[in-house]
Parts: sequence; C-alpha cells; structure tokens
Amino acid sequence: MPSTDAPLLVAVDIGGTFTDITLRDGATGRAWTAKTPSTPADPSEAFLTGVSLVLEAAGESAGRIGRVLHGTTVATNLILEGKGARTALITTAGFRHVLEIGRQDIPRAANLYGWVKPARPVPPARVLEVVERVAADGRVLTPLDEASLAAAVAACRALGVQAVAICLLHAFAAPAHERRVAEALRDALPGIAVTASTEVLPVVREYERSLATILNAQVMPAVSTYVGRLEERLRAAGIAAPLLLMKSNGGVAGAAAIRRAPAVTALSGPAAGVVGAQAVAAAAGFPDIITVDIGGTSADICLMKGGAIGLTSRGRVGDWPLPLPMVDMVTIGAGGGSLARVTAAGALAVGPESAGAVPGPACYGRGGARATVTDAHVTLGHLPPRLLGGRMALDVAAAAAAVRDSVAGPLGMGLHEAARGILAIADSTMVGAVRLVSVERGHDPRDFALVPFGGAGPLHGCALAELLGIRTVLVPPSPGVLCAQGLLAADLKAEFSRSVHSEEAAAVAGVFAALEAEAAAWFEEEAVPPPARALRRVALMRYAGQGGELAIPWSAAAAAEFAATHRALYGFDLPDAAVELVTLRVEATGRLAGDIATRRPPGTGAAPSGRHPVHFPGGTRDAALYAREALGAGDRFAGPAIVTQLDATTLVPPGWAGEMAATGALILRREGLAG
Amino acid sequence: MDATTARCDAVTLEIVRGALRAAQAEMEALVERTAMSAFIREKKDFYTALFDAEGVMAVGSNVPVFGDIAAPVFRHFPKAGMRDGDLYWYNDCYESGGAVSHSNDQVFLAPVFLEGRRVAFVMGWAHFADIGGLRPGSISPDATDIFQEGVIIPPVRLVRDGEVNEAALRIFYRNGRYPRIAQGDARALMASVALGVTRMREVAARFGADILADALAQLLARTEATVRARLRETFAVGTHRFTDRIDGDGHGNGPFRIRLSLTRTPEDRFILDATETDDQSPGPVNFLMHPDVPGMALGLFFLGGDPTQVVNAGCPRAIDAVRLREGSLLQPRFPAPLGLRGLTMMRMLAALNGLVAVAGGKAPAAHAAYVIILLRGSAGGRPFLMSDGIGVGYGARDTADGIDAVYFVAQENYPAEFLELEYPVRLRHYGLHCDSGGPGRCRGGCGVVREYEVLAEEAVLSVRIDGVENPPWGADGGRSGGPGRVVVNPGTAGERLLRPLSDGNRLRRGDVLRIETGGGGGRGHPFDRAAAAVLADVLGGMVSLAAARRDYGVAIRDGTVDGPATAALRAARPAALAFHRGGYAHALD
Repeated sequence: MPSTDAPLLVAVDIGGTFTDITLRDGATGRAWTAKTPSTPADPSEAFLTGVSLVLEAAGESAGRIGRVLHGTTVATNLILEGKGARTALITTAGFRHVLEIGRQDIPRAANLYGWVKPARPVPPARVLEVVERVAADGRVLTPLDEASLAAAVAACRALGVQAVAICLLHAFAAPAHERRVAEALRDALPGIAVTASTEVLPVVREYERSLATILNAQVMPAVSTYVGRLEERLRAAGIAAPLLLMKSNGGVAGAAAIRRAPAVTALSGPAAGVVGAQAVAAAAGFPDIITVDIGGTSADICLMKGGAIGLTSRGRVGDWPLPLPMVDMVTIGAGGGSLARVTAAGALAVGPESAGAVPGPACYGRGGARATVTDAHVTLGHLPPRLLGGRMALDVAAAAAAVRDSVAGPLGMGLHEAARGILAIADSTMVGAVRLVSVERGHDPRDFALVPFGGAGPLHGCALAELLGIRTVLVPPSPGVLCAQGLLAADLKAEFSRSVHSEEAAAVAGVFAALEAEAAAWFEEEAVPPPARALRRVALMRYAGQGGELAIPWSAAAAAEFAATHRALYGFDLPDAAVELVTLRVEATGRLAGDIATRRPPGTGAAPSGRHPVHFPGGTRDAALYAREALGAGDRFAGPAIVTQLDATTLVPPGWAGEMAATGALILRREGLAG
Repeated sequence: MDATTARCDAVTLEIVRGALRAAQAEMEALVERTAMSAFIREKKDFYTALFDAEGVMAVGSNVPVFGDIAAPVFRHFPKAGMRDGDLYWYNDCYESGGAVSHSNDQVFLAPVFLEGRRVAFVMGWAHFADIGGLRPGSISPDATDIFQEGVIIPPVRLVRDGEVNEAALRIFYRNGRYPRIAQGDARALMASVALGVTRMREVAARFGADILADALAQLLARTEATVRARLRETFAVGTHRFTDRIDGDGHGNGPFRIRLSLTRTPEDRFILDATETDDQSPGPVNFLMHPDVPGMALGLFFLGGDPTQVVNAGCPRAIDAVRLREGSLLQPRFPAPLGLRGLTMMRMLAALNGLVAVAGGKAPAAHAAYVIILLRGSAGGRPFLMSDGIGVGYGARDTADGIDAVYFVAQENYPAEFLELEYPVRLRHYGLHCDSGGPGRCRGGCGVVREYEVLAEEAVLSVRIDGVENPPWGADGGRSGGPGRVVVNPGTAGERLLRPLSDGNRLRRGDVLRIETGGGGGRGHPFDRAAAAVLADVLGGMVSLAAARRDYGVAIRDGTVDGPATAALRAARPAALAFHRGGYAHALD
C-alpha cells in the first residue's frame, strides 16, 4: 500500500527492443518516463538500469519507492517457443496417453489430409503413472500405492527433469493423493519445480488441467529465477518495496504467489495493455470500449462494458488451451509486420506469416523485400518519413517496390489500390474478431468507443471504427507503451474456484465459505488492509446438459438472472429446463489503484508542424502534421491529419475531427455524427 | 444494377470470404455453448454452411460428407415462394438423395433476404442423440429398415412470419426418448441459423447483393479451377481403379467391396464410377452416397491447407460425372437401413485415397473408421444413454506420420472426468493402442484402448467397429494398420469377444468392457524409418520392443538403439509391393 513516506510507484515494461519505465508520484500525480535498451540475456539488468535512470530524472531516492510493478513475458515466450524446462507428468495409472490423445479431434478449421497433431509439451516417454484412483465424488477407490510412487520418483530422477507436473483424475474432489506425490517429489528431488493440478486449476477435464499444470511447471524454474534475480537486484539498489507482477487476469500479485503459479502470467503483457486502456478510457469518461492492440505480428481484441474487464476460462496460449482465468480477448495473426501475398489461385492473403523483427517491413531498410501492412501504410503516406522523433528514417521507395512486386503486379492493380487492398484485408480480419467478441457477449459494437493502441493501433483506429459503425475513437496518451499505464492502474486480483456437483444451498454456502477462506489467506499474504479488500461471488451456470456456462453474480435471483442473460446473448431461453451450477468462483480484489490520468494544460489552439501528402481513396490530400506533445487540452483539429509521437502515429482521415482531452487522451469523432 | 456487370475485385473477395468465415465461427460458437446433448456439446457433431441465392453451397466445412443440402427443400417449397424469416427442416435421407445420410442428422435451412431480394441461404446441421427407433440412440446394428432408425422428417417449413410450427416440433420431440434434450438442441440450432441469417444480411448490405453474388460465384469457380488443375496433375488420361472393403453388415453378410474407378478422357473430362460396388446389405451399413460426396472429398484433399481456399460445391463440379448403381452398397434402395453408414463412408474416403495412390499421387494410406458404442440402461432409477465415440488411427502421409487417436474432423471425446460424472461407468484405462499403427517410413496413426467398468446394475451395449478382418491398408511399401476388437472381462475366466457389429449385449455391474480400435496404414518401407523415430515410439508406448525389431528392423537395448544389431537386422530387408493389407499386393481386391 502506498504511504506518505513511500509514495512513488515504478512500472517496468520489458519489450523486445526497449525497456520502458514509468515513475509516478502517487501524492502529486507527477510522472516521469525513461527508456533503455532491453538486455535479453538477463532482462533484470535493463530493469534496474531503467529504474536508476528514472529516479535520476525525477531527482528521487530509492527509499521513497512504495511499489514496483512489472509485466513479464518470460512465461509467455517460453510457452510460445516451447522452450520451458524439461518436465515430467505424473498421472493416474491407465492414463499415460492423456496428452497424446488430447480431445481426439482434428480441429474444425484444419484439413484432415494434411493436419499434424502438435507435439505435446511433454512427450509420452516422460509421462509416469502412479497407482491410485479417486471417484468423481471424491471417494478414494484405490489408495495411493507408495511403491508406484517411489518408482515414479526414481524415474523422474533418471529422466533428469527440471520440473514435474502432477495431475491425477478427479483430484479437485480429493487432493490428498496429489499432495502426497508432491511431497515425495520435493523430499526426494529438492531443487526441481513441482506443481500439482489442484494448486493451479482445480476444475474438471483431465486433458486441459494436465496441460495447465505442465505449462505451469515448465515455466516455473525460469520465472522463479527471474523473479528472484529481480528481487535481489532491487534489494541491492536499496529498494525495499514489494515487487508486484501482472497476471493474465488483469490484476497484479506478489512475487511469492507468482512463483507458485507462474502460468498465471502467460498473458501478462496483453493484460497490462487492456488494463491501461480501461483506465485511460474510464478517466476520459468512456466506460464501454473495444480495445484493439496491434503489434508486429498479432492483434489482441477485447471488449469492456461498464468499465468491467471480462474474464474467460477458455483462453489459449499458442497451440494450447489454458483454462486459467484470463482477460477475455481474441488474438489474431494480423499486425504491422504481417506479410501480403498472392496465392496460386489468385487470392490476396495478408498474414498470419510475419516479417518478424528481422528483416522486418521493407520500409525499415533491413533487407525485407515482401510487402507488409506497414509498407502499405508507408506507400499511402500514412506515416511521416521519419519515426521515433526523427531518429528512424523510413525507406518509402522500398515499401512501394515491395507492394508493387508482391501484390500490385501479380494482381494487375495500381500501386495505391494494392496498398489499400492490403490494409482493407487486415482491417477486415480485425473487424471479424471484434464481431466475435461482441456477439459472444450479446453487444452491438456501435455502442462502444474504440481504443486502438500498440505501435500500429492508431493507424487503423478510424478505419476499423468506420467498418464497425463506431463513432468515437480514443487514442491513449502513450499508445505504444500502454502496459506501463496498466501496471500503475492495476489492483491485486485473484480468483478461487471449485467445480460443484450439488445445488443444495448448504453445500453452495460451504464452498463459497471455503473459497473465501482461501481468499482471506491470500489477502494476508499480500498484506492487503481490510478496507481495501473486496470479494465477489460468481456462479458459472448453464441449462442442465449445455456445453457452455455463463458467469452470473451470485444471489438468490441468480437463476432468473441466468435466463435473462442467456436470452440477451443467444436469442432464446428455456423456461422448462433445469438450471445447474457448474463452478463457484470467488473473485478477490485488493484495491491499489490511484488515478493515473495525466493532466494536460489547456491548449492555445492546434498548430500543424507541417504537411504531408496522403493517398486517400478519394484522392491525394495534404494532411496536417501535429506533434502530440504540442497539443493542449481542448485543442481541436480536422482530418485529414497525422498526429506524431515517439511511440505511435495516429491517422485521422477526412471526415474525422480530433480533440485533445484534459486527461491527455486524443478523442477522434466522425463529423456530422453525434457521440 | 445488372447482376452480370457487378464484379467483385480480388480485395473485396478476400474480405467477403473472411466475413463469411467469421459468420460461420459465430454460428458454431453459439451451438457449442447452448446445445444440450453431450453428442453436440462435448462431441461437437454439428456443422454450418453458407449458400448462394440459388442454394449452391459456397462456403462449406472441412468435413467432406455433404451433398446438395438445399435442393430437397426446393422440391417442396419453390424458392420463389420463400419469404424473409422462413426456416426449413428435414432429415429425410432417401428424399434428399443422400444429402443427409442417416436420420439422426437434422438440417435447418433458412433463406436470407435483403430488401426483398433473396441473396443467400444459411444451414445449421447437427446429430441428434435420439430420434426414436428400435433402440435408444436410434442407430443399431440390428436395424433392417430405415423406419427402425427413428422418425423421418421430410422437408417442412418450421417458421413463417415469425410463427413456429410448434405442432411439428411436438410430434418430433414426442417420438424421441429424450424430448428435453432434443428441444434444447433444436432451439440452439435454430438460434444459430437465425444468427447466420443476420450476418449474411449484413454482408450483403455492406457490399451489395450483386457483389456478394459475384463473390460467391468466384469462390465456387476458384475452388473448381484449383481442383480440376490438381486432378489433371494427378491422373493421366485413362482409367484408374481401386477396390477396398468393409468387413460386413452385422447380419452375417460380407465382406462388401467398394469398387471405384476414375476415368480421365482425352478431352479432360473426369468420370467417377462406383457401379461395380457390391450389392446393398441387409444390415445398416449402406451408405446412400450423394453424387457430390466423392468430389467434396477429393476436393478437400487437393485444396490442402491453403487458408484462402474454400471447400464448397466447386469441388463436386470438378468431377464431370458420378455413376452409381441403384441397389448397390453406395446407392441402396428405400427403405434399406443406413444407421451405420459411417463406416462405409470412411472406407469410401480411403478408397478415394487409393485412387490417387494408384495414379502415383501422394494421398495418405487408409485410416480406420471411427468407433461408436452405445450403452443404455438405468441407474438410480433414471434411464441413461451413453453414446461414446472413440478415436482411431489415421493413415500415414508421404511427409508425416498418420494421426494418432482421432475420431474425425471437429469431433471431441468425452473426458474421463466428464464421463464418470455423467454416466454410471468408470474408465480403467484410456490410452494409445500399442502396435496398431501400420509400420512404415511414415507410421500409421495408433488407435485407442478404452476400458470401462460398468457401474449400472444392468446395461445393454451396442458396438460398431470395422476393419477387424480387413484392416486399413498401407501404401508405397508401408503396411496395414492393426485391427480393433471389443472384449468383455479380458483376462478372466468369463472373457468373451463381442461381434464387431452387434447390439443387445447385456452387461452387469462390475463387468469390464475393453475396446481396442484400429490403427491407420503406414506409408513407405518400415526399414526406411529413422531408428531414432522408432526408439521414440517405443519409449512413448506406440510401438513395442518386439515390433520394433520385427517390423522396423530396429534393435533397442536399455532405452537406446543398438546400432550394429540394427544394421544387421536391416541388412535383411523384406521385399515390398505397392499396397499391403495383411500381406503385400500389387493391387487390393
């Protein structure tokens, strides 16, 4: 908790190229930022360099820091690249191939003739069985056989694994066997990472739970080492403040909790961005938003109604389902680096292949010859010829040549037409994803403001809004480094859930009480004072027999609320059908967040810093160039315009008008339309 | 605007295609979340498709088993008389000429209108768990005519002007054993089709009806052109033949041969002929094959993994003629039973791979047909119906092993923890079926072992498993996959083998039911498989030590490859021929 003698908050976001640091004085609202090259070999090095830099810039001392906040991609990258620790899985006898079989399906979108099952994160040679059996209701049918356990432990030693995941059938109904296995492993093999499924995800379906447990175990050694090194370096630098890390659920948690369940940071980075967007939009008075975070290779899309960030337990990371609570977003393979190509059948395709960091888009002049989305922007003049405050020149001719060779030539189109085609397809893919997140919650996207961020987001914001019928676009103050804002705005958050089979009131009350006791212990561990604690009871409900559940706030009227929600989402309800509880969940929040909005001094009228030709569909127009930092509160301008800043470029097409809000957000509106 | 002048450019085409795919994804998400039967919600036996204004399938699914879905509706309800808001429904196999090929599959079809003009059709399709008939689940090896396989719904109009024909639905629900579940599934599909109609209308409004029409026409033409080009690359002028078989029909008849030929004429016409296929069966393994199905399947194979390609009616259009013989296994006469047509359909798909293989193409070796058991009884005073689909091994490809333990496209298993919560059974074992994958340079996929203990006092079991006597063939030197079997109380004095297609098998509390499913055929000579890959299979439980030695010529000692011993074994390389089923042969019969 921030106090008067330690009012400073530090947020550190480590990107592939740069590490961004924000320091904020919780008492005065003043903020400072610093940027330092990332140090991939040991990211904690840049972390501390950056913290020192920002303290220096602010003229502050380490002792006045009250909280260090961090979004980490260590777990994400290990999972996506399949480079986690060498791991074994211990399962119930008879179920050795639980991973190989998976859900026994060829994916709906796959071609059965060519599809190859992705290699599992643990090969079957490292899956070990113990003799034990628990029934669905938690009765022990076969006690854990110690001889089989000893054999499994010995096998783990012989296999030279660095981590072990334990997932036994129905363990969520009776966790004793998993605990005993974990204890035996910890005793016999000190120093290896051990995860039991009930510690990570105590819910039904053994394949998904096994995967979540494995992914947790696999990233545990690296995350633990990383977090330990960060804490060490912080202490050495005289910073005694707690280190809090961003989780996939949009909340932060202390280092100890993250060490136990590092898989909860699998979407740490994107979640921080969403929290930042939510905070920026709320400060500017927009509670209903759709966020589009466009990076180099992918875009993350998320919908928030009434300022609430939705959670899902059906998320995926890479090839794997990861049913841990995570911010409910859709990720698609369309970003600034997505490659455009013409297929043999004459179709124009954009993504999911990407030019990556090397060679990158052709306009970066690093040898890229194939057209990317960014090259299409450059060809059309959407980006000024110099980026990063003038430090980076764009090779406009190379971009145009790439668009010509990759698309315009093969399709017999004009250069600008081809570039617009590339963008139209990328935009359309994103619009499809926005519709998917909207309909799954029964919403009409036109009732929302669009918040584009990420380096490439503000180039697409107005185009996406037009396609969706959205009237307002809100560009955050620092759209390229919004994660830092999210870290500063985040609360401590954790969910505690249990599958239930009984609808008796007493049983439900008992489960909630048990979950709340877990939550209370967590509050103690995180040192959350009682006034800052908040608990929310949620029931995941469905009509008896259905495959999908809806999360309904728990109350006496939950069944009626469920029916109403079902009707709103899916267009029908079933008055004759029984409603059943599937999972009970307690969402715990320890409030930390302060007001993160920057206060913009009033402006004196927007003055263009220059002009730049842009090739719009209606013809080439001179767009006014505005430097974002020169715009004051209340300053207005009309499109066509380009707003430049260090971390992003905003394109304002004809028919749109911009206004700088007092919070520092840039509000773009379609002219002639209310909103 | 004149429809013939509106042209959809390449960019718009790709955007329309993306929007249609997104609409399909939304429809599927809705069904998955709201349907009630485990068959649909866990096993996910449902599909969607989008059609042009004339009812030609423009965006289908990656499941090549659909015929001309819309035509049967049009015969009863001419297109000209259709209105905005209409919804049509049927499951009538014979009436639809095999567009639907067993009665459990319900089709819901709706026209899409924009400003009074019909611009498209939308379909939702799902397998309903029980629609009446001889036994719970409606499909039984015992059936001898289609009337024993549940209620038949000819094309009917279910909704007009906002009014639902509740009487028709009530008759339908009343004829099934689980009316509440049928109602939930019907409502889910109807809501999904309604959503699809909304989305299609939005797409039409955004681009204009003429542009949409041209886009759909281009998607059809593009698919047809691609498939035709690949057919020309694969098949030389002349006639190519392949024969495959199923074991039998469960009534003592069989094997049944599926004899296919593909002729490319000097004028580059492609003619598929199945008229020499054996006569129809008394038992329910008849596959009333719509003439579009072979083209859909070959098309899916030839389109490969290109994400911009769409499986649609352009695939069957690439085949100029399909010849079937009435009274044969692939064109039975009404009212022959059809319930187990899945195993014949899967074998027919393998036979199409065989046609490509004899022409020198790189099609996969044969796969096993998915396995289904139905267990019915009552537990705790409540009746239950457990319909469990079990995965099999798929055929090895030229560049990759066959897929282990999969059922079919998009259909998932019941997790052990789910199964035990819902049904009175306990799973004792669920794993890969060791040594069932056909040996080859690329190994055939392994089947599955699934072993249950019955917890209900008494239950009646229906079993369906093919390829026991005629396992999936291997190609190009690869060997056939291992067969499956179904056994009760294995390893005890009371052990008994069940007939592969049988019903009425009585089981009691404490009985153990073990199902071993078949593997896919291998491709390439097994001695050409890297020793390290064989070792990984042995350590992973897919191949036994003995089989590594016998089939692959790889000696393994203490968890590593014994190099000299392996070299010695591999020096005595057995001769191989083009195909293998039990033994090598130049051609299969």
